[in-house]
Amino acid sequence: MISSVEPIPVTVLGGYLGAGKTTLVNRLLSGDHGRRLAVLVNDFGEVNIDVDLITSHDGETISLQNGCVCCSIADALGESLDRVLALDPAPDQVVIEASGVADPAKVAAYGYGWPGCRLDAVIVLADAETIQAKAKDQFVGELVTRQLRGADLVLVTKSDLVSPEVLDSVLDWVRSIAAVPVLPVSRGEVDSEVVLAMSRSDLDVGSARVVTRGTSPLTDAEAMFETATLALPGPVNRARLEAAMSLWSQDVVRVKGIVWVAEADGGNAQPHVVQRVGLRWSIEPATTNIDQETEGGRLVVVVLRGTLDAAALINDLVDAE
Amino acid sequence: MADITVFTARRVRTMEASMPTAEAVAVRDGRIVEVGTLENMAPWLDGYDHEIDDTFSDHVIMPGFIDPHLHPSMAAVLLPMEFTTVVEWDLPWSDIGAVGGRVELLDRLIELDAKLEPEAPLFAWGHHPIWHGEVDRETLNGISATRPVIVWHRGYHSMIVNDACYRWMDIDLEAARRHPQIDVDRGAFFETGLGVAYRHMNGFLLGTERFRAGLDRMRQVIHHGGQTTIGDAAMGMYGFEDEWEHLKAVMERPDTPFRIQLMPFDMGPLGDEESDEAMIERILAYPQRNTHRLRFSDHVKMFADGGFFAELLMLKSPGHLDGRHGEWMTPPERFERVARAFWNAGLRIHVHCTGDLGVEMVLSTLEKLQSERPRFNHRFTFEHFGISSAQQVARMAEVGALASVNAYYVYELSRAFADHTLGYERASQMSRLGSLERAGIRFAVHSDFTMAPAKPLNNAWVAANRLNESGEVMCANERASLDAAIKAITSNAAYVLGLEDEIGSLRWGKQADFTILEADPYDVGAEGLRDIPIWGTVFEGEKFPI
Ligand SMILES: [Zn+2]
Repeated sequence: MISSVEPIPVTVLGGYLGAGKTTLVNRLLSGDHGRRLAVLVNDFGEVNIDVDLITSHDGETISLQNGCVCCSIADALGESLDRVLALDPAPDQVVIEASGVADPAKVAAYGYGWPGCRLDAVIVLADAETIQAKAKDQFVGELVTRQLRGADLVLVTKSDLVSPEVLDSVLDWVRSIAAVPVLPVSRGEVDSEVVLAMSRSDLDVGSARVVTRGTSPLTDAEAMFETATLALPGPVNRARLEAAMSLWSQDVVRVKGIVWVAEADGGNAQPHVVQRVGLRWSIEPATTNIDQETEGGRLVVVVLRGTLDAAALINDLVDAE
Repeated sequence: MADITVFTARRVRTMEASMPTAEAVAVRDGRIVEVGTLENMAPWLDGYDHEIDDTFSDHVIMPGFIDPHLHPSMAAVLLPMEFTTVVEWDLPWSDIGAVGGRVELLDRLIELDAKLEPEAPLFAWGHHPIWHGEVDRETLNGISATRPVIVWHRGYHSMIVNDACYRWMDIDLEAARRHPQIDVDRGAFFETGLGVAYRHMNGFLLGTERFRAGLDRMRQVIHHGGQTTIGDAAMGMYGFEDEWEHLKAVMERPDTPFRIQLMPFDMGPLGDEESDEAMIERILAYPQRNTHRLRFSDHVKMFADGGFFAELLMLKSPGHLDGRHGEWMTPPERFERVARAFWNAGLRIHVHCTGDLGVEMVLSTLEKLQSERPRFNHRFTFEHFGISSAQQVARMAEVGALASVNAYYVYELSRAFADHTLGYERASQMSRLGSLERAGIRFAVHSDFTMAPAKPLNNAWVAANRLNESGEVMCANERASLDAAIKAITSNAAYVLGLEDEIGSLRWGKQADFTILEADPYDVGAEGLRDIPIWGTVFEGEKFPI
C-alpha cells in the first residue's frame, strides 16, 4: 500500500466561463468513483448536489457521503489547499477549478509547488459552440487562447450541440493551438477516469482486480472512453518505459500505476509511480513499501473507446513471455 | 462658549465660482453659516453670541482636502514596516529619504538593523530591481545572521528573506525547494510562492495589535496630508466585519480629524458566491450602521483589470513591451452582469481600471447600460485611469463618466514604464488629465495610498506638472491646469464621492472642514504646489494643527 506521505495529485480544471467546468465538478463530486476527492471551487453557489448526499455544510466546506469534499477558494487558494490537505484521512486527489479568467498554467504552480502536492494535469475545457468566437473576442480572446495553450489535455464540451462537421473543424482548430490530446465530450458526460489521477486503490496491486474493467462509472453505453488495467509480467527497462510514455498515441488519454523499473546498470528493479496525461508524464520512485504480487506492476490506462489494444501496449513495455 | 465662531484669514479660497475668495468663515455647530467679510456677516454676528478666531490671520483657508481613493486596511499592514523605495516619503513619524540604488538599500538595511529591537523582524518594503538591482539571501544574511530580514517588492510581487527569517517562519525548506516560484537559495518568493510565505507571516502581520497600530499610523498620515475626508475604495478586503471593528476602534474617536466614506465592492473577484440581489441588498443596508466618521452611501466599487504597479494592466494593441500579459480581475461577462444589476438598482459605480483594454471593456459596458436604461447624475467613475486614449476620453464625456486618477503614476513610473513596460509614447501619456479637462470631464486625483503618498498637494503637483522622478516633463499636453488640479483635491473630489453638497468648497451649509495653508496655491502656481507648508486642518469647526 502507498502511505499518505505520497504527494497528493492536484488537477487543475481551466477554461473560460461557460465551458462546463461546473458541470464536471458536480459530476465528480456526486460520482460513484470510489475516490475521496477534494474539489476547490470559486463559486459555491454553482455547486449543485443532491442534498441527500451532503453530510455536512459549514459555510466553507461541503462534505459528501461518498467521502468527497467541496471547498470554497474564497480569496486564498493557498489557504483552501491547506484546509483540504489537513483533512483526516487525506484526500486521494485535489481538483482545483480555476476561475474563468485565470491562466490555468499559473494556477498549476500550486500543484507542483505547494508542500504535499504534485501536479497531476492541467485540463482545459472549451465549449464547442463558443470557443472560436471567444478566441476572437477583443477582451478575452488572448486569454482564452492562452488557457488552451497551457493545457495538458483539452476537453471540447457540448460537442453534441454542434454538427459533426462543425465539431471536426473545432477539434482541428483547437489542435492547431494546443498540441495535446483534444477530446470531444457530450452532455457533460466527461469520463471521471479522464479527470481522476491514480488513486491508492489503483496502486493497491495486492487487490484482486479484473484486467479490463470496461467503461468507468460516470459514463453510459455510448461512452467515449474505456479503461483497462494492464498487468505487467515482469520489470520494465527504464528506456523502454520512457519511450512508451513519449510515443504512445494520444488516444491513450491517461496512464497511471506502479511499475517495477529496471535501470540500465542492472540491480534490482524498484517500484515507480508512473503517470501520464497528454504530453505530461513522470516516473518517480515509489516512496513506500509495496508488496509485490505481480511481477512487473500494473498500469491503468484510459483510452478512447475502440482504440484499446492491451496486448500491444504491454508488448511495448515487456517482451512477451 | 459662543454660538458662532468666525475664522478670519489672510485669504479664504472658497473653490466656489460665485465668490472665489473671501476674508472670513462663520461656523456654528461644525457647519458653515456664512462665508464672506466680517462686514457682510453683520446680520449673523449682531443676532448671535460669537467669537472671532484669528489663528489663521496669516494663513490661507482652503476647503478640507479630499482623497477619494485609498485603502486604510492595506496601509495598516504596510505602515508598521520600514520604507525603502526609490522615492522619498515624508511620514508623520519620520522623513524617509529616497533609496536610489543597491548600495543605498544595503546601507539603509544596516542602519535599520542597528536601530530595531534585537528580536524584531525587519520588514523593508519598496525594493524594485529596476533601481535596486538583485538582492538575495546571502546579501541579507550579511545584514543580520540572527534577525529575520524581509525585503518586499514595491508592487508586492516578490519577497526576499534571510536564513534567520527561514527559522522564524519555521518553513519546510525541502518542500519549498520543490516550489517553482520559491528560490530557496536566493531566499526569493514570487507569485504563488508568496502564498507560502504569507502562510507563515500573516499571523504576525494581521495580528490585532499590529494591525491597529498600523491603522493608527494611517490616522496620522491622513491628518498630515491635510485631508479631512477620504474614501476607502474597497472596504472589507481582509474580511468585512473584522475591518469594521478595527476601523471603529481606531478611527471613530473625537481626536480623529477626518471622516471616511466607505465603499463596499463586488466580491466576485475574491470568489464570493452570493447572488447579485443578495449583494445589492447587503450594500443598501450598510448605511444603517454609519457612525459619525465612518459612512457608507450608495457608491460601490468594481474591478476591471489588474494592478498598475504590478504591470497587470490589460492593454489593447500593441500590448506589453516584453510580451507579458495582464489580467482581468473580473471576467467581462460578470462585470457586465453585476454592473447592470448595480446600475439598475441606482447605485453609483466606481471601477478600478488601469489599461486601455480595461477602459474599453468598462466604457463599452457603460455605453450599453446608458442605452438600456439612461441615467443622469450616475457618477460612474473610472478609477486610476492608467492608460487610455483621447478617443476613449471623448466617449467617456458622451456617457457622463467621471475619473478619479492616480496622477502620481507619472512621477514614479513613467520613465521605468517607458523603458521596460510600455514604450515612451504610451508611458508618457499615462494618467492623462489634459484630455479629461478639455473634454469637460470632472476628475479627482487620488493616492490609492500606499501606491502614492497620501498628500493631495503632492498629487495635484504631479497632475499640474507631470514631472517624473528623473526630472523629465512627461507629455506636457496632458497636464491639468492649476485650477483643475486644485479642484481635483477639493470640489471635484467631493463630486466624485457624491458629497458635493457637504464638502469640497466653502459656502453656507457645508461642513466646516478646512485645510490651512501657509500660501494660496493660486499665488504659488503649479510648480510650487507640493512645497506649500500645511499648518493643519479644521474638522467640523475644530482646529487640528499638525
Ligand atoms: Zn485602490
